[in-house]
Amino acid sequence: MAAIDVSEVQKFLYSTPPFANLSSAQMASILNGMEVSYVRQGQTLTLAGAAATLHLIRRGACEIRTPNGALVDQIADGECFGVSSVLAQNPDGLEIVAMEDSLVYRFAKASFLQVFEQSEALRLFFEHTQHHRSRKLSRTQGSDINTPALQLSTPIEQVMTRQLIKATPEESVQIAAQRMTEARVSSILIVDAKEEHKPLVGIVTDRDLRSRVLALGITSELSLSEVMTCAPATLSPDSLVMQAQTLMSEYNIHHLPVVTGDGVPVGMVTAADLLRHQELSPILLINQIHRQTTVENLARVCQQWPTLIVNLILTDMKPADIGKVLAAVSDNLTRRLIELAIAKFGQPPFPFQFLVFGSQARKDQSLGSDQDNGLMLSSPPNAQQSEYFSALSNYVCEGLGACGIRLCPGNIMASNPDWRMTQEQWQQAFSNWITSAAPSALLNASIFFDIRCVYGDEKALTDLLKGMQKDIAKNSLFLVSLTRSALASKPPLGFFRHFLLESSGEHKHQLDLKHQGLALINDIARLYGVACQTYRVGTIPRLEQAIREKLISEDIARNLIDAWDELNGLRLEAQRRHWQAAGKASAYLDPSTLSPLERKHLKATFATIKEAQEIVLQRFARGYA
Amino acid sequence: MLASIIARFQTWRRHRLTAKRPWQDWEYLVLDIETSGLDAKQDHIISIGWVVIREGQIQLDSAQHLLLNGAQVEASVGIHLITDGDLEDHGRREQSVIRYLRLLLRDKVLVMHHAPLELSFLKAWWRQQQQASLTLHWLDTLAIERTKSLRASQPIQEGGFRLAPCRARYGLPEYQGHDALTDALATAELLLAQISYQGKDCRLHDLLQIGGGHTKFVAG
Repeated sequence: MAAIDVSEVQKFLYSTPPFANLSSAQMASILNGMEVSYVRQGQTLTLAGAAATLHLIRRGACEIRTPNGALVDQIADGECFGVSSVLAQNPDGLEIVAMEDSLVYRFAKASFLQVFEQSEALRLFFEHTQHHRSRKLSRTQGSDINTPALQLSTPIEQVMTRQLIKATPEESVQIAAQRMTEARVSSILIVDAKEEHKPLVGIVTDRDLRSRVLALGITSELSLSEVMTCAPATLSPDSLVMQAQTLMSEYNIHHLPVVTGDGVPVGMVTAADLLRHQELSPILLINQIHRQTTVENLARVCQQWPTLIVNLILTDMKPADIGKVLAAVSDNLTRRLIELAIAKFGQPPFPFQFLVFGSQARKDQSLGSDQDNGLMLSSPPNAQQSEYFSALSNYVCEGLGACGIRLCPGNIMASNPDWRMTQEQWQQAFSNWITSAAPSALLNASIFFDIRCVYGDEKALTDLLKGMQKDIAKNSLFLVSLTRSALASKPPLGFFRHFLLESSGEHKHQLDLKHQGLALINDIARLYGVACQTYRVGTIPRLEQAIREKLISEDIARNLIDAWDELNGLRLEAQRRHWQAAGKASAYLDPSTLSPLERKHLKATFATIKEAQEIVLQRFARGYA
Repeated sequence: MLASIIARFQTWRRHRLTAKRPWQDWEYLVLDIETSGLDAKQDHIISIGWVVIREGQIQLDSAQHLLLNGAQVEASVGIHLITDGDLEDHGRREQSVIRYLRLLLRDKVLVMHHAPLELSFLKAWWRQQQQASLTLHWLDTLAIERTKSLRASQPIQEGGFRLAPCRARYGLPEYQGHDALTDALATAELLLAQISYQGKDCRLHDLLQIGGGHTKFVAG
């Protein structure tokens, strides 16, 4: 029959990627044999028989699930399912469950495949979709057995050690043993020094020294060529962690040299490296931090930090838990730096507390967070003591900077003499902020109300907080001002719930998830935090405390917590992507990269913030603002 | 005499039986017409659009949109944006259109939104064009919607039975165009949505009960 000329259908396809790029001839072919059906909410579609083809949701929402019910993807208007059915006979037996009543277009398989062959754009798009879904699928399945597949597919170059300890076959066993001890490694590479490019010819490990030399009572003057393993198993630099694991278990070995095509060793992978990589363990990082004795070594160890964060994000850890892990690492790093400073400058003349503010205090740091901190001294220092604390603070703050926690652009750091005060002075400072209640003063001071002690006796901080809360209770105007400054920014929803995006500059048409979203929730939670009887510092603990003290309805608080989780998840994911692509973290998100369903969620999230802002206005500012 | 009674009985029985088969076993021709007015005695059909439902799926390949020649362009044209030029260019001989439609309708259920109006025009046209008689089952998505709202005791406001608000109640998209084909497609989607709300074992019989009937197009 004649080509289909149903304008509403064509119009929709032309507004939907990737079909928008089709020529009119391709459009006509792909429409050949197309069918429309209506799927009731809750109905399951098995992609078999006539349905084993590509489908496009015209209106509605569906979930893609595995046969045992695990969620692979959520899709809505303008998104396709059946991609792996039409391209690869649906090897994973995926099923579609309608989450809403849905109107669905079904392409005739032959027509789709014909255009798929012709159109590069279509091919790229669907191959990408298929890849994306199978990755999500492998993550879904991976989490069941707790070894995410992506760890196994990490290139070996990211895991291997590049500092190589080498010897020649003519050198003695003793020399090799000395070199290994010095470098604290468990193997040595034997290279042929007579050849110009010095190729690998063998390897000697701790185990070889034990079993082939010591156990046999052979003299340590023996040359390495007599005890080494010749032509050992090796990896090429582009192999994957998975291959390393296979080789190790196959040959029952723990050391694998990484060599280039012509046999030149470029790296070394040990079973311990693989273990370390796979555990992705913050505990290991913290242990390493405590073993380092110089700032340089700390900085070197902390180079793993972004990788750790990226890996935590990739393993789908909850944002709040990622925050806790990062806080644990940065707290320990800070303490280690203070210990090193004390080792360098001597014992402090009297006790002090190292305070952290803002995100480190709230435990919601992420990639690229900066430092906000200060000192609280137990008595007023004389000139010489001032000198000591200045040196200590500079050492710690610069050390944190070297380890990847950026210096604070607003100079709220212990290295700034303004923020090294006695307990009385801190009390006075809070008192001033609370009684003056000038919104402009508060705007800059609000991060001081997120405060935690990471070094020294916590009792002093508890006393400080008690005094602060007493002051707040006495000055009702303070909460009004804090409310005003908290509501100075609005969530980026315009009329008709369109996103208000950056209109110019580097982040044109993007959402700033931190300043347009998360910060607003942090501000609201801070209000409840300082109004509660019991002081909490994290955003979620504050909202939970406000529920307990009945300052906020449980509904609103839970919605805000969900919104915070959602935005934080999006921010971490955006940062991870920017980090892996460009080596720097950015919390900007282009809403057009979201699926319609994700966009819907995001809009609902911003609507929640808006609602909470109105409630806060009523509660703390009695409607004045 | 007896033979003809038996034959009629058998036809009746066949109809009864087939009406009990699941709805997907039937083919449906969903049709919409644009007319020059609301009175089948004076006014006439300007264009016809239809689409077929087979095996429970709308077959977009089957979509047709035909303008009839001899149709005078009158007041309603402003709404449908059909010009004299269109009628000249795309006009079909009415005879061939009606024969084609008759062929398609022979084994299908006719579906419309607001059947009384459409049926009156189709019957008038049939008489005019001297077509052989044809008996058929028909469904009216408006009648189905009205019965459902009565059964649910949820009265629907005036205007709520027009195609667009009916569709909106099932979450179907809003369409910009209002030509005969777009409305036919819109009606077909509405029917699928209505059926999906009838439960799993919906039969044609059930649909005829809540919003359909049996009629005869008689030759002139």
